[in-house]
Amino acid sequence: MKFVVLTKAAVPLSSAIRIDPKTGTLVREGVPLTANVWDRDAVEFALEMRDRYGGEVVAISMAPPTGILALESLIGMGVDRAILASDRAFAGADTWATAHVLAKTIEKYVPDFDLVVTGEETIDSTTAHIGAQTASWLGVPYLYYVYNAEVRGRTLIAKRFLEDEGVDEVYELKMPAVISVLRSSQIPREVKLSRKLTAREHLQIVDNSKLGLDQDCVGLRGSPTMVVGMSPAAYPPRKRIVISGAPGEVAKKVAEVLRELGVVCAVSGLQ
Amino acid sequence: MKFDVAVVGGGPAGLAAAYKLASAGFRVVVLERGREPGSKAMYGGRVYTHWLDKYLPEFRKAAIDRWVTRELVTFLTEDKAVTLETTTERGSFVTPLVSFTSWLARLSRDAGAQIVTEITVDQLARDERGRFVGVKSGSDFLRADYVIDAEGVNRLLLERAGIVERLKPETVAVGVKEVLKFESRKLLEERFGLGEEEGLAWTFAGYPTEYLPGGGFLYTYRDSVAIGVVMYLKSWDKLKTPVYDLVEKLRLHPYVAPYVRGAMLLEYGARMTPVVGINMAPPKFHYDGLLIVGDAAGFLLHTGVLIRGVDFAVASGVLAAEAIRESGDPSAEALSIYEKKLKSSFIYPQLEKFRNVDRILGDETLFRDLPIFATGVVNRYFTIDDKHRTLFEALRETSKETNVSLFKLLIYMARAVRNI
Ligand SMILES: Cc1cc2nc3c(=O)[nH]c(=O)nc-3n(C[C@H](O)[C@H](O)[C@H](O)COP(=O)(O)OP(=O)(O)OC[C@H]3O[C@@H](n4cnc5c(N)ncnc54)[C@H](O)[C@@H]3O)c2cc1C
Repeated sequence: MKFVVLTKAAVPLSSAIRIDPKTGTLVREGVPLTANVWDRDAVEFALEMRDRYGGEVVAISMAPPTGILALESLIGMGVDRAILASDRAFAGADTWATAHVLAKTIEKYVPDFDLVVTGEETIDSTTAHIGAQTASWLGVPYLYYVYNAEVRGRTLIAKRFLEDEGVDEVYELKMPAVISVLRSSQIPREVKLSRKLTAREHLQIVDNSKLGLDQDCVGLRGSPTMVVGMSPAAYPPRKRIVISGAPGEVAKKVAEVLRELGVVCAVSGLQ
Repeated sequence: MKFDVAVVGGGPAGLAAAYKLASAGFRVVVLERGREPGSKAMYGGRVYTHWLDKYLPEFRKAAIDRWVTRELVTFLTEDKAVTLETTTERGSFVTPLVSFTSWLARLSRDAGAQIVTEITVDQLARDERGRFVGVKSGSDFLRADYVIDAEGVNRLLLERAGIVERLKPETVAVGVKEVLKFESRKLLEERFGLGEEEGLAWTFAGYPTEYLPGGGFLYTYRDSVAIGVVMYLKSWDKLKTPVYDLVEKLRLHPYVAPYVRGAMLLEYGARMTPVVGINMAPPKFHYDGLLIVGDAAGFLLHTGVLIRGVDFAVASGVLAAEAIRESGDPSAEALSIYEKKLKSSFIYPQLEKFRNVDRILGDETLFRDLPIFATGVVNRYFTIDDKHRTLFEALRETSKETNVSLFKLLIYMARAVRNI
């Protein structure tokens, strides 16, 4: 079977996110990019299925050359090969234009794919659009929040969990298909030295001269949505409340203050 | 998987060795657990250049933020300060350690070294005869003819290999540091009275560590300053304030606060540093198939006022590379030229000379009596009230008020000037 994992080179932690107040874009300088944390669940999911059913896992990312580091680390986890779609023309893409590049890369380089796997969302932009939009470009079914799946013939039996509803659902999808993996549902395996040493050999970089995409469908020009305004939520000033005393009393006062501020609700039993 | 040389740790020591070896045609791999070389790096702020000119003259093309042209030492108490200031020739430069390290990483890569990041080495691998033959990471074993241990101060690998004991609190200090960014380079220069490219190095004794062994520091980068506190771990139990709050207290001290007003907190970090220099060296610096360099070898000079580690790290890395090149084979006997090189270079003699410094620095006199006394005397001497004191009167009065014996202090000073 052929598995494709889509990944984004993202900031490592949500606390590392800074928005430039002037341009409204993500500040990337000085933040070492890494594979989006939730994508590691997707990679583990695909690797585990590969180990069960045989075949190959290909990681694909659209990113500037700095994305190489992220893909290397996924190869270190055991991804068989990786493709970086990188071109100046792709810059400034919204999710629609990004999904276009990803879908076309899949069609060109992994045309016989069985399953495309994505993370639940990215830690630094949180749209969760890419899976659905890539599926639409590819014309295949998709399902989100999957944590477990098995293959019967050409059918994928996928289990997913919906947090808000608190329900477990079982779906049947015709393959090829696209799924997104529920965050934190897998235990990503370790990055291995032996794999990392030869990572470059398993990495292919393709630009638009190879992909041949219409300039009007990629990058900023191919993006139907645009961020037109941005008002960063002001950081609330620090309250500088100092509470001292015996631990028990301090805890009580802290609870009181938090309740007054509306940070926590009064729960019976909390005194 | 087989390399000529495996280097553990992508700090200044490991990268300097890798650069020199790769340039000489060796197949070298550097294993670094951080995301990028330098991403785990943290230090005070300056690199001394006298020996770099000899061992790694290429450094002059590195990213240098500022040259230290002013050197300040302040004895600080809650409400008083005495500062000694001197101008200096360009003998050291200030730059974030991560800039220096990533420059050195680029240099090594260009020379042909392979740097693998996000990989933690779990063990130095030995054969049945105890010779070092590579490294282990997870379930992987990477073979190498030579291993260079450049893992830094917390040498877990050497500990696991039975070469050194677990670090004792008396042998290390913890450094905590903030980086504060100014609106512009110009603003920083105006605040500190610096010209373009000029920088200052400032140390504080007394108040920053609650009069316990250690001190505070401030270095000016390009458009930011590093401000921090180094606290000897042996007196941690006497400390009343959590160590991370000490930096904040120093930043808010009325003597310091005006300099950094309005600057934005950009970074926050903490790291250990050796304080006993050569006293924490492993029994030997070379074993069958293994060389030890940088902080891991105890190559760091700490005199209370200044910390010199980077130039020692780079020079020891370069010497290890030379030793491997000249050794012919990885036996301990062949590698003993590393030890000879250390002894005939500045490294060993300078560290040997300062062998006793930690005993002096461990004495609380320097950190309690001296700051309190010095600030008291100077303050009194310059205060004109109904009396106009002679220096001797100022000394006597301060001694009486602070309970610091002038005689004891003099004896202490005599010991200190010989050893620090
Ligand atoms: C607060 C403070 C202030 C300082 N100020 C100065 C100063 O102003 N000037 C100066 O010259 N020196 C200063 N120093 C000292 C200086 O930082 C060190 O001497 C120098 O960094 C030592 O270099 P190194 O290469 O030996 O070790 P390090 O720089 O510590 O590098 C070791 C590297 O090895 C990696 N590593 C460790 N274990 C493993 C493993 N098992 N697997 C993979 N990778 C591993 C680490 O991630 C790290 O990158 C200061 C130190 C501190 C703590």
